[in-house]
Amino acid sequence: MGLFETVQRKASQMGLLPKVIRLLPILSMITALVSIVLIVILPMEGQYRRTYISENALMPSQAYSYFRESEWNILRGYRTQLESFIKFPSEENISIESAYEIVTSQDRFATIKSWLQEFGVKTATYHNNVTGDTLYGVLHAPRGDGTEAMVLCMPWHNGDGDFNIGGTALGINLARYFSRWPIWSKNIIVVFSENPKHALRAWVEAYHTSLDLTGGSIESAIVLDFAGVNDFFEYTEIYYNGLNGELPNLDLVNIAVSITEHEGMKVSLHNLPQNELSVNNYWSRLKLILLGIKDASLAGVKKVHGNEAFSGWRIQSLTLKACGTSGKIDITTFGRIPEAMFRSVNNLLEKFHQSFFFYLLLTTRNFVSISSYLPSAVLLSIAYALSSLNSIFNTKYSLNSYIQYSTIAGIAWLASLVVSFAISHVFIYSTTKFNCVLLLSGNLMVLLTPLVTTKAAYIKEPITQRIRSLGFLYFSLCSTSLLMLNFSFAFSITLLAFPMTFVKNVNTYDKNIFKLQLKNTLCLLISNPFTSVLFITNVFENKSFNGLDVFPALTSAWNELNCWTWFVLCMCWLPVWLLTVASTMVTVPVPVITNDSTENNTKKNM
Amino acid sequence: MKFSKLLLLLSTGVSKIHASGSLDVDVDAYSYVTSLMAEDATTADVASDAICTTAIDEYTKSDSIEDDSTIEQIMTREGLKMNFDADDRGQIITLDSVRYPYDENMVVRPLPSNHLLTSFVFDMTSESFGPRRNPQESDQYTHYTVFPKAMKPLLERTSTRQLQLRFTRGFWDAESWGPLPYDGVKSGGSGVELWATIEATSKDEAYHKWKSLANYLSGHFCASINFIDSAKTSFPVYSFKGDTGDSAIPLFDRENKDSNLYILHAALANEPICTENLTPLIKLLPTRGKSGISTYLDGHKVFDSVWHSLSIDIDTKCDLKSELCHYEMEAMVDMVIHVPNVLERFENPIPKPVGGDKLRCDLTKPYDAYECFPLPEDTAISFSLSQLFNKTITGCNKFIERPSTICVETTTEWDISLKIVDDDSLMGDESNCFELEDTKRYDVILDSHNSKSVVSTGDVPVFVSRALTGYGQDHGGLRTVLNNPNDTPVTITFFESFPWFMRIFLSSLTVESSNGDITVNKLMESMYYSPAVDRKRPTHLEFTMEIPAHTTFSFSYQFDKTLLQFAEYPPDANHGFEIESAVVTVLSPKPYQLRTSTLLLLLSTPDFSMPYNVIIISSTILGLIFGVVFNLLVKRVVTLEEADKVLVERSIKYRLLMLKQRVLSKLGLSH
Repeated sequence: MGLFETVQRKASQMGLLPKVIRLLPILSMITALVSIVLIVILPMEGQYRRTYISENALMPSQAYSYFRESEWNILRGYRTQLESFIKFPSEENISIESAYEIVTSQDRFATIKSWLQEFGVKTATYHNNVTGDTLYGVLHAPRGDGTEAMVLCMPWHNGDGDFNIGGTALGINLARYFSRWPIWSKNIIVVFSENPKHALRAWVEAYHTSLDLTGGSIESAIVLDFAGVNDFFEYTEIYYNGLNGELPNLDLVNIAVSITEHEGMKVSLHNLPQNELSVNNYWSRLKLILLGIKDASLAGVKKVHGNEAFSGWRIQSLTLKACGTSGKIDITTFGRIPEAMFRSVNNLLEKFHQSFFFYLLLTTRNFVSISSYLPSAVLLSIAYALSSLNSIFNTKYSLNSYIQYSTIAGIAWLASLVVSFAISHVFIYSTTKFNCVLLLSGNLMVLLTPLVTTKAAYIKEPITQRIRSLGFLYFSLCSTSLLMLNFSFAFSITLLAFPMTFVKNVNTYDKNIFKLQLKNTLCLLISNPFTSVLFITNVFENKSFNGLDVFPALTSAWNELNCWTWFVLCMCWLPVWLLTVASTMVTVPVPVITNDSTENNTKKNM
Repeated sequence: MKFSKLLLLLSTGVSKIHASGSLDVDVDAYSYVTSLMAEDATTADVASDAICTTAIDEYTKSDSIEDDSTIEQIMTREGLKMNFDADDRGQIITLDSVRYPYDENMVVRPLPSNHLLTSFVFDMTSESFGPRRNPQESDQYTHYTVFPKAMKPLLERTSTRQLQLRFTRGFWDAESWGPLPYDGVKSGGSGVELWATIEATSKDEAYHKWKSLANYLSGHFCASINFIDSAKTSFPVYSFKGDTGDSAIPLFDRENKDSNLYILHAALANEPICTENLTPLIKLLPTRGKSGISTYLDGHKVFDSVWHSLSIDIDTKCDLKSELCHYEMEAMVDMVIHVPNVLERFENPIPKPVGGDKLRCDLTKPYDAYECFPLPEDTAISFSLSQLFNKTITGCNKFIERPSTICVETTTEWDISLKIVDDDSLMGDESNCFELEDTKRYDVILDSHNSKSVVSTGDVPVFVSRALTGYGQDHGGLRTVLNNPNDTPVTITFFESFPWFMRIFLSSLTVESSNGDITVNKLMESMYYSPAVDRKRPTHLEFTMEIPAHTTFSFSYQFDKTLLQFAEYPPDANHGFEIESAVVTVLSPKPYQLRTSTLLLLLSTPDFSMPYNVIIISSTILGLIFGVVFNLLVKRVVTLEEADKVLVERSIKYRLLMLKQRVLSKLGLSH
């Protein structure tokens, strides 16, 4: 007798299977708890790793960076000229937020173009009536083969909407400085877009479809963000989250961090304030990991910094932002980061492939790789599968197929998909405030239907169970596929939707139907995709989102950046929610078909 | 033995010959000496030129050299040691009459934005020979003068009638510099490009000869030309016909009716070009980089340029009346340098920020000790070739028909003068062409107050750019933009060759233009398409089309990327597969050739640890399935009670009990 057979006989002797089936709701909850614990233990000593430069060719900061001394004079020269393009409201008020532009973008581009051409940059303008024009230039590598390029990108307005004067002047000066070096093996492309969002994205798309002047396949892109006209800043912020769960290769982030710290600057990730940058303890690491999950989930939806625009063509990109206006670090130091990064990337003989593409950062120098954090999202998916099993097996209708009821459940599932699909597409075309209110109130109405119709509509009990079971199974499958691509987003939505699994069946013969229904409604209210997104963004991202702002942001993220967060919400989460709401309708029991022979057999086998 | 020749050869540069053993001098003395020279090439120094030249000068005075001992005396006097076998001492003829068909000249042309194009041209002609089918059949006395010995047997063995080899790298800025030198026919696409006209009786034979040619050139030029295989070789139909056309080259094997000329073409995109390709080229020259203009051909300088091209053209020229043929070889080196950068690097190898006092600020804009808006590059410029190449040159070519020349093509706003370094004198000339006749050291000085003023070499007939488009790993697109900015329509042939793993769909060919009235049918006059065969043949496309005046249009097609076999991927993670450049040959209004840049095609590369995971998982699953199926086939399905009974019955304890009972019952002791 084999080991497996022994175990199985022991289990069946102890009657484990019925016990486990009875415990399914608790098991599902425990699985979800374990998945959270798995995330929470990641910041503990020994669970994470220290970052390292995996690709030996990169050699960050191994060459001395010469962007200093008289380059600062030239930088100021360019910046003064750029300053003349904008005007401050008054002499006293010279904050960059209140400045306004006084020349057209054509004039600005013409001026910058003439500067670039002086040192041999080939320039062209990409025309786009919707997003605004983009000026770009290619500095051909003197000894390269012209098949690969590195992009330096300076949006005229940064992510906050301020004039990126410092960044633009720096970009022009860096291009001039780079043109004197004979070392480049990859072309250098400088891009001056109107904004870091759709204008830049449109340019990147055009680069891969219709631009006449190209410089080869883009290896990496660095977006420079130095708003204002000041010479000094305090610390550097690095944005690296790409769209749809894409991240730049960890090597690129590592060289950026290593170079920035080598130049004596503090590095902030995920908008960590300056006073928290030197802290490194369990709570700070946990905070950063959670911020990372939040930022990756909302990438493209929340404030866009420019690096997101390059997602999707195997381009490794990140944004460098100079933060603060006082401080001791000067703008040429900031310029030495892209200089040294370009020198590193220039050394590459291969694509970025050595290091991780899926990771979570705990500090600037510590990370966990996908194998450490993926199990937690897998467990959450399993929790839904267990809930799905629970709603099928923990009833008296479990032992028969009830094909007619299963068919009805299948049709309901299809209907929920169709409805969700329609909603998602209607909102892509128009996301006015009115529509958003309509969406929320519609959801509320759907939510209240079971409460209102307590007396009127009675559905047969097995139907609701099968509907719910199918819904959870579908969600489990969706989140399993999603977690391979976008862990953070999959983890967030499965966690936020989890209260759905607490929903109970309501029967006409239940004693306090109202209490049960109230509980169900509460669970469904907090697990509704739209209310929970609204809640999360208004609590944790209240700087970027006020009230209903998140819905236009979601649809514009798709329209402008091809970020599919909105569709996942609508096509994964919403149908399940609709099905779960439908399953809370008051039900009437149906006679249980008892088939003695089957029952006996089943019992025997158990 | 023609001793004079030996001396001449010595005069060409290398002097430190320390052949201590016997010198086997025969017809191939040239090659022997040259091989010695090659060995000593690294140790030879320029100063030694003078020594050997003196030796020759003295002996040109006498009519003939009768006695070898005299030569030995001279050589000993000049610090040279040579021992010869007595048997090989032959007659010595006069030097004056010996002049060989070798020509070299250098053209310097300033380009806009302070760039400078320098072109070196070396022409060599072989001695005449009668064409014949098999070179081994003839016992005719053959003889290599200035024509490189390395080449002739190769050409004969592989029946190559025309050979073009190009090593090109860098970016030629046609927009500001104008047309390519020699109308583009002497430069290739980025990397190595080779095409040849080969006489053969069949395509297969042509390919075999071509392969042999490629293998030889690979060894000779230290390049990966041996990687040219049938999957990289195409047989151009419209392009690469050459200036003369096929008719000018007679078939050597006229008896065989199948005999024909085949043009084969292959390119190795982005093959790195470096000193080890330049050195073999210089070794083909009789001067070997030791005297004349080839002195300037230093790897450090040639490859520190913005654009450079090394080319070798060998052509067979036949005289139909006398039925004699000879080879003509043209070796060219072209390079473009950015003069201020080179001069700056001469002073400081690292382009550090300039000192505050050296900043050139725009005084019309705000400037002070902290601020400076940079001025464009200075247009007043003065430099000498010795500054750019870090050496002076001598005219030492006593054995050639015409002295080496240096020509500077400039406008009147440039002052060009030839400087004789030894006596510090300057010479000027209207034509700006200088002959380096004497054995003095020369230098050329270029000076201008307005370096923007340069000689125009005409309009570029057509501009072309090509880029990969698309998103994702399984398919992509290719978009080519052609622009004719001139007033006349341009007829071109467009040649493209793609590796087989790039599956082009010609059905997706679309033409886009700004005004929208250009269609495929209107544009393409003829088209040749030879589809790829996996691992055997590249996709080969040739279009003939006419581009109307002032028109920009693009044509694009889609392609699928294939998965390669496990072993076909490069051993390490690669940055992509190189796609050779497309060749645009302008037929009218004037012959011109240009190439697009090369492309980098990303194929989806599997994670190579995956096969092991797959093997492990699939074996496990197979094992499980086998176990289940096997059990089902050979085992009986019983109820638990039956199974328990069987188990009990099978146990040794039970059997012993049974045995005991049986024994007891036999003995009649049972209950």
